[in-house]
Amino acid sequence: MSDHKIEGYEFKPGFKGMAHDTGSDQTMFKGVHWGKAMMWIFLLSDTFIFSCFLISYMKGRGSTLVDWPNTSEVFGLHVFGVEVPLLLIALMTFVLITSSGTMALAVKYGYEKNRKMCGWLILATAIGGLIFVGMQAYEWSKLIHEGVRPWENPFGAPQFGSFFFMITGFHGTHVSIGVIFLFIYAYKTFAGHYDEGKKGWFTTMKGDYVEIEILGLYWHFVDLVWVFIFAFFYLW
Amino acid sequence: MSEVKEKEQSTTHKIGIYLWIWGLLFVLSFFSYMVDWYQFQGMLRWSLILVFMFAKAGLIMAFFMHLYWERYALVNVLLWPMTAIACFIFLMVAEFEYTVFTRLFYFVVGGQ
Amino acid sequence: MSDEYENKAGYQAQSSETISSGGGGSGSASDIDYVRPAEIPEQDLYHGHSFISKWVFCQDAKVIGVQYFLLATFTGVIGLVLSWLMRLQLGFPGAAGFMTAEHYYQFVTMHGMIMVVYFLTALFLGGFGNYLIPLMVGARDMVFPYLNMVSFWSFFVAVGVLLASFFVPGGPTGAGWTLYAPQSILEGTPGSGWGIILMCVSLILFVAGFTMGGLNYMITILQARTRGMTLMRMPLTVWGIFTATVLAMLAFPALLVGALMMTLDNVLGTSFFMPTILKAGEVLEYGGGSPILFQHLFWFFGHPEVYIVALPAFGIVSDLISVHSRKNIFGYRMMVWAIVGIGGLSFFVWAHHMYVSGMNPWFGFFFATTTLIIAIPTAMKVYNWILTLWRGNIRLNVVMLWCLGFIVTFVNGGITGIFLGNVSVDVPLSDTYFVVAHFHMVMGIAPLMVIMGAIYHWFPLVAGRFLNETLGKWHFWLTFLGAYSIYFPMHYLGFIGVPRRYFEMYDSPYMTSAVGMNEFISMAAFIVGAAQFILIFNIIKTLKTGKPAGHNPWQANSLEWLTPSVPPEHGNWGDKLPIVHRWPYDFSVPGSKEDFITQTTPPSEVVETEVEKT
Repeated sequence: MSDHKIEGYEFKPGFKGMAHDTGSDQTMFKGVHWGKAMMWIFLLSDTFIFSCFLISYMKGRGSTLVDWPNTSEVFGLHVFGVEVPLLLIALMTFVLITSSGTMALAVKYGYEKNRKMCGWLILATAIGGLIFVGMQAYEWSKLIHEGVRPWENPFGAPQFGSFFFMITGFHGTHVSIGVIFLFIYAYKTFAGHYDEGKKGWFTTMKGDYVEIEILGLYWHFVDLVWVFIFAFFYLW
Repeated sequence: MSEVKEKEQSTTHKIGIYLWIWGLLFVLSFFSYMVDWYQFQGMLRWSLILVFMFAKAGLIMAFFMHLYWERYALVNVLLWPMTAIACFIFLMVAEFEYTVFTRLFYFVVGGQ
Repeated sequence: MSDEYENKAGYQAQSSETISSGGGGSGSASDIDYVRPAEIPEQDLYHGHSFISKWVFCQDAKVIGVQYFLLATFTGVIGLVLSWLMRLQLGFPGAAGFMTAEHYYQFVTMHGMIMVVYFLTALFLGGFGNYLIPLMVGARDMVFPYLNMVSFWSFFVAVGVLLASFFVPGGPTGAGWTLYAPQSILEGTPGSGWGIILMCVSLILFVAGFTMGGLNYMITILQARTRGMTLMRMPLTVWGIFTATVLAMLAFPALLVGALMMTLDNVLGTSFFMPTILKAGEVLEYGGGSPILFQHLFWFFGHPEVYIVALPAFGIVSDLISVHSRKNIFGYRMMVWAIVGIGGLSFFVWAHHMYVSGMNPWFGFFFATTTLIIAIPTAMKVYNWILTLWRGNIRLNVVMLWCLGFIVTFVNGGITGIFLGNVSVDVPLSDTYFVVAHFHMVMGIAPLMVIMGAIYHWFPLVAGRFLNETLGKWHFWLTFLGAYSIYFPMHYLGFIGVPRRYFEMYDSPYMTSAVGMNEFISMAAFIVGAAQFILIFNIIKTLKTGKPAGHNPWQANSLEWLTPSVPPEHGNWGDKLPIVHRWPYDFSVPGSKEDFITQTTPPSEVVETEVEKT
């Protein structure tokens, strides 16, 4: 991403380049915007949060003597008279990956200074995120309707309800925050803040399309976490 | 920052690569859904789930989050801390097995 | 690492800009003085105009650092008073009339949590980190000043919530600072209702606030250094704070998750950590949870937390020793790698706090091994401090006294740590006063000594005046001898088996054999605690009347002393950012006129000297 020229600095490839970058002055991540570096480190920290959630889930599920509910049935949907296992989750995955793809394209068009295209793609991403949150709300209400609570669960171990609401709730919060920011960024893109270098609300840094990439990192991370939740919570 | 103009040439990739990855993600998600559909069980299920999961995660990180194009300094800073998580996972697996053992031993068998 | 400085000629051609000493200069001088041009454009800073934006919601890292320092010290004084109350009860049972067992447990808990998280962590990273990082790496400010400001105010709210728990029904939580489930949320433990909820909320706020600050520290160090400042030219203070921040960023998530799940257990009645519990013959509604999971989560945070406190202390003390013995730090790179190595290893040792918890017994083997491996880099650091002192031109001032006190205390606490790292030794010593003595020595007194030394060292920078030396020596000797009087006998109490966290020894044999010692320890604790007010008095007195310090009063090399104005103003460096040519440890260099060569001295000015290649 950052193999552009820096005056007086020679880029070297691979691990040699890593040693060279690390040993150089001023910056360690050459050409990486402060905000982008910050987002990466934040995501690393956030990864540890989600890892701790999933590890707790593993330990909790592994050490309970009560049977764990069959997720394939619990999350099944009744469509056209047929019981389809995990259908809702499959749809949610589909929506989230779609929005991730539009986000990736938005970043690309942002760097190409294609304001319109970038804005529309961010808006599409935001709408995808909104649909995801809506489906999650439906999933929650369905389970609550069936009697699953954080403290109890008619299908088996009570920890199922606890971990389900906590982990998907925490992920859903991330998605919701992302959606809010996506709408804000869509507005800022259409208003041309990134073309003019208009300063943001809480910062003295000039607006730049790199902010779209930073937001994109966050959004892809939300998708990434969903990949793990999908595998460990729904498929296991 | 001021290097945007220089960045322009290098940071954008052909749209094809994104569409390819996008398509692959759909296919992989479909496959992991099929793992459940066909109700594979045991180690086969586990390994399939993990393979598809890591493939998807890897694609997202490498291409959508651009890690494939980032310099190694950043990539290594991000990936090495995961060893701590790996250690935590590994030990917690041992721990929950032991907890189950003690629970079965004392509550079910009776601890004799 | 600095090969681009060796073959300057190659870069000469590419670059339009060369730096020469004092303008002009000969061709050869500018050749060896070449430093790569700036990669990053100048940072725009927000300058406050009103009182509120200048001093309250301030975005200047230095002011934020002082704010952190003052608030952390304030909570620290509360922790100190709590420890007095505890010692009063232990030394003279019943002397404090109002003190019940519940109060005692609450004070133990709050003392521990305040001292570890709200005092030491906030002071080192928030206080010293904010003040020193931008100055030492040659940045104008932290990279995200607004976020930095929010970070402090989250900390402020977190402290507010924590202290509010003293005034809620049931009082603060009395579960011990480790907050182990299930007892922390079961009735019968003091503060099991409101107290523990407020504690969890406060911790979550602290973690959120700290994450904002930590991102700032990390990105400032990695991405906003000045020209010529390579990672291996940073003062060890910055290395210590940086590594501690990395640890904090990766360890606090476990605490956050633990606190969140405990809050849910308490408020919603989930059973993450709650097993099936019989209480007075009745089965509680909880069931199936895993108490040991909380311990793992807590210590996955808790052990790195020890190094979050210790590593900045290691870094700062290295700088203080080097400056005040007028010698370069012995084995700089070894010191850096030791800091990084300790930081990395600290994520693989957490369950040595849990040998008697009933975890998988095989873990003892793994964790004892990793724990003892940590002793290697730590011992390297101790050797290097001593070798730095060896044949140095030591100034035996207050700062140096604190450093020497630190080394002694740290070695003492570290060696008892090796005892406790071994499972077979730990099992009988667990939950005795030996443990209390160990961790107070190694992560209480030792880092505190560094903090004191750092205050005497950097006060002339922050306030522009020296602290009073005579008062400082009184402060040091009372604290040092007093702290030893407190914790040295505690080792013995531990050996004879006196359990920790007991409100009273009642009619046990300890009541007869240990009573005199307990009284002695308590007396010492009162004196040491009171001695700390000497420092506060000293600060208040010298703020107005102290001897003016002027520029670089200690003849140090690092950048923070080289600002155009003392104390430094917002933006730190006036018109031009400094350019760094060397590491900060060029003391007593053979051939040099003075015994120090500042980091900004270009090579052409010191051609005759035998400076280290850095």
